[in-house]
Amino acid sequence: MDKKTVTTIAYLSRIALDEDNEDKITTDLENIIKFVDQLDNANVDGVEPLTNPLEKKAQTREDKVTAENRKETFLDRAPKSNEDYFLVPRVVE
Amino acid sequence: MSIQYKSIKDLNNMLLSKEISHKELITETFALIESKKNLNAFITLNKDAAIEKAVLLDRKKNESMLAGIPIAQKDLFCTKDLRTTCGSNMLSTFIPPYSATVISNLENAGCISVGKTNMDEFAMGSSNETSFYGNVENPWGVNLVPGGSSGGSASAVASGIVPAATGTDTGGSIRQPASLCGITGLKPTYGRISRWGMIAFASSLDQAGPMARTAEDCGILLNEMCSHDIKDTTSLNEHIPDFTKNINQPIKGMKIGIVKEFDLSKLDNEVVKVFEESKKYYESLGAEFIEISLPNISLSVPTYYVVAPAECSSNLSRFDGVKFGKRCEDPKNLEDLYIRTRSEGFGDEVKRRILIGSYVLSAGFYDAYYKKAQQVRRLIKNDFDEAFLKVDVLMSPTTRGAAFEAGSKGSDPIQMYLEDLFTIPANLAGLPALSIPNGFVDSKPIGLQLIGNFLEESKLLQFAHSFQQITDFHLKTPSGENI
Repeated sequence: MDKKTVTTIAYLSRIALDEDNEDKITTDLENIIKFVDQLDNANVDGVEPLTNPLEKKAQTREDKVTAENRKETFLDRAPKSNEDYFLVPRVVE
Repeated sequence: MSIQYKSIKDLNNMLLSKEISHKELITETFALIESKKNLNAFITLNKDAAIEKAVLLDRKKNESMLAGIPIAQKDLFCTKDLRTTCGSNMLSTFIPPYSATVISNLENAGCISVGKTNMDEFAMGSSNETSFYGNVENPWGVNLVPGGSSGGSASAVASGIVPAATGTDTGGSIRQPASLCGITGLKPTYGRISRWGMIAFASSLDQAGPMARTAEDCGILLNEMCSHDIKDTTSLNEHIPDFTKNINQPIKGMKIGIVKEFDLSKLDNEVVKVFEESKKYYESLGAEFIEISLPNISLSVPTYYVVAPAECSSNLSRFDGVKFGKRCEDPKNLEDLYIRTRSEGFGDEVKRRILIGSYVLSAGFYDAYYKKAQQVRRLIKNDFDEAFLKVDVLMSPTTRGAAFEAGSKGSDPIQMYLEDLFTIPANLAGLPALSIPNGFVDSKPIGLQLIGNFLEESKLLQFAHSFQQITDFHLKTPSGENI
């Protein structure tokens, strides 16, 4: 883990790092990664990954609308919206 | 008559005998909240709506034991039309248009939500020091942390403001603060309680649960919190028993496993002494002890710190300043909007975990970290499966020690991560686990953890209730008197 890697993952995460803090963050992340490197001690040959303790198939339901349309409520509570859309800065000139 | 430190059952009796009206109970609760403002246990209060509901309850006959009982809700559960911050600046203006299933379940049973409790930001922390809304005080001592992430809920119950509160537990966030504040807290089996409307941290680990003074009150709450919910695809469609039905059954002849790999020699002598005394109490109840080996359990914390950040980085990508929550001022373009909103909205610990998550999920590292952690997670779960063929419950201290002072863990995040050494394994395996007060170290409470097999919350509560029938640790209060 070096500064360049940290800059890349920060960009992937859409987070800007505080310049004064960059060294500390790099060291912290390096230490955490070193800490989790203990996983190398485990013999996992042929072990199926466990993604969820229930190991059940996701339940499905009939494709039917169950929720009422609450467009106005959602738009009202958005940081910026008009009567039909959430608004963001212009993307296409 | 004071309502402070009263249990759900006590309050219910006071209401039934008309010793107090619903309105008086709720008004008194807000007076307690006000007098204990220094704890900083609440972020947002629900005063007007709470009193309104109490007035309505005074006008009708109520059957439910929970009718009119004041409950503090962790600020991680969405509450319709009541601000929900998750301890973050990112959601400082978020007013949910709906309530979490578990909130609706409790409110439909008659509970009155009096407010939203302080917590570590997005439930990431073990001391409540990462909250955007300031530290929470542990009522057991000045400048002591209440634990986390459900620190506000634990502090509110421990100080006797409310008989019970909701919490959530991803790696110990109910049990660790319960231990540090001297109360009882239960993390149910993964999937028992719907996660719909719970702000997600790590979806394969998150589980809501009750925090109260006694095991019995936890059972009473759990009865109402559980439901099969089609809105959560991981919600269990299993029989929901009356969790209080068997709590008075003796535990004589039942088997308790002591985990060989939990090395207690590294703990403070006093903590070990308290633990050994608890074993004697259980022996006196007729339980048998068996040493159990969980060979992979020492890898639980590293496994957790791959799985939880990975899921967190995915879950928290929804906070982009577009549809709800905070948005930065005057974004130059869409990317600037995302980056500045997230950089201003999240605190340091949350950023750290998002970065770790993005790293372990990135191409080239996925197999070495994320896949490997999931493989080790299976090994840990297999160890538990094996253990529960031989024992009814597993027992350990909940935490490595009692409450510590704010700021005392220094700036090394790993020191804080190790707070959850004993609690994380149950989350990885999806098992129910609880913490009950079992003694004091330097006049500060600590807890005993019991881990149960899949869906065996009733048995855990039976063990906890038995202990609470022959001990009074759960009845001690920070103000000195016994209840």
